[in-house]
Amino acid sequence: MIVEDEMLLAMELESEVEAAGHVVVGMASSSVQIPDILRDCAPQFAFVDIHLQDGPTGIDVGRMLAEKGIPYIFVSGNIKKLPPDFAGALGAIEKPYTMNGMANALSYIDAVVRREEGRLPPASLVLAEDVAYRTRAAAE
Amino acid sequence: MPDTKNSQSDARRAGERLESAHVREDPFAAAFKATRMPMIVTDPNQDDNPIIFCNAAFERLTGYSNDELIGKNCRLLQGPDTNRGTVGRIREAISAGKDISVDILNYKKDGTTFWNALFVSPVRDDDGDIIYFFASQLDFTNIKSKEAELAAARHQAEAEVAERSGDLQESLAARTLLVHEVDHRVKNNLATMASIVKMQVRLTEDEGQRHALLSVLNRIEAISTVQRKLFTTNDVARFDIGDFARELVTDLVEAIKRDDIRLTMDVSPVMVPAVKATPLSLIVNELVGDAVRRGLADGGGEIHVVVRRLNGHFLIRVEDTSEPVEPDPVSAELGRRMLEASASQVGATIEKSRDGRRTIVDVTLLVENKDTPH
Repeated sequence: MIVEDEMLLAMELESEVEAAGHVVVGMASSSVQIPDILRDCAPQFAFVDIHLQDGPTGIDVGRMLAEKGIPYIFVSGNIKKLPPDFAGALGAIEKPYTMNGMANALSYIDAVVRREEGRLPPASLVLAEDVAYRTRAAAE
Repeated sequence: MPDTKNSQSDARRAGERLESAHVREDPFAAAFKATRMPMIVTDPNQDDNPIIFCNAAFERLTGYSNDELIGKNCRLLQGPDTNRGTVGRIREAISAGKDISVDILNYKKDGTTFWNALFVSPVRDDDGDIIYFFASQLDFTNIKSKEAELAAARHQAEAEVAERSGDLQESLAARTLLVHEVDHRVKNNLATMASIVKMQVRLTEDEGQRHALLSVLNRIEAISTVQRKLFTTNDVARFDIGDFARELVTDLVEAIKRDDIRLTMDVSPVMVPAVKATPLSLIVNELVGDAVRRGLADGGGEIHVVVRRLNGHFLIRVEDTSEPVEPDPVSAELGRRMLEASASQVGATIEKSRDGRRTIVDVTLLVENKDTPH
């Protein structure tokens, strides 16, 4: 699932996710659309922008996903706005990201969703503190 | 209220008794009379604790004659602006039989005010009973008014400083908000530009066109990375070119997925002024890109990237060992022009040397000239 209010960016991210062999099951541009999408389909992973059409509600969306046990990352122009616990996110990619940065993050996320352990995250992905800790522990 | 005439003569007699207890030659009595410090003695054993003795200095200070003072309570010096609280404290000290020192606003006979540093002390007999109160006065109106002027000036200065600081804080907050807003918009616009180019790449089937578009996208992404990294440190005016190089190279290594191209780094943090961030980052991007393009031939190769300070210089070196293949001439020319323009913008020198399969490109820049105007 992709939650992003800039339509061009959302469409591009969709293409990149699909090019990496995945299917985008839901797109949302504001937080109010999230409950409906979650009822209709079960995303395995989500990309969430912090600033959406109805304000800085991406963090609420993130907490909603965390409650349902859906892993996700933030994709945002200002990751300093994130709370210290990253609202349960795996990590964050700061915009504007590069094609290489996103491709590397996608392959890392793919490994995480498949529960392949021991991989180090790419430079483009800032991990949440607890995730970074577990990753370092697993790599050692 | 006792008859005024009688009470005054009681007070006078008490004063005379006090005086007769001291012989004319008594140096203490002489000093009391002659000192320039206004002094009085009151008799607490008479009704309303009247003044029974005052010296000439006290008469000069208050403007009252000796006759007008003897028999009166000291409150005749009080007036409308005299602080009631201070009067209360004097009264308490007197009834408790204690010393007291206070500053009080008093009134002269002609109605003018003066600031009086008053000291009151009980005088006890051999049995310890209070027989008199002694009081000395000191007119410190001049000091007080200077103090008041100083205090007023200080308050005014403080108020002005507070107002200015408030203005400054407000404008700083507005500026910070503006910087964040502009930063956010610039990032969004760069991301949108990149999206447009990527979209066209997806729609384009011609390999040459795709190649040209990806070349444009590569430079947009380099500038995007600069913008993303500009505000990540606390110092918004400085930019770590080493950090930029490390991210560029690591992302590239992971993404090209070529086991036969080995990328290594010797990169330390090098802080440069933010205004030079874009040209310097483009230099790193061009050098690395050029080496990758030449190494993408079948043979693969090794690429080593160095970013470090060196004896007052700052060095960007890209060293590659590969079978040199002639890259696409348009790409090569674009890369060369970008490199030259960026280097001349920041006053850097480019040195290229080739030794068999090994190519070394050094870009050096004086670090001392960071504060020269741009």
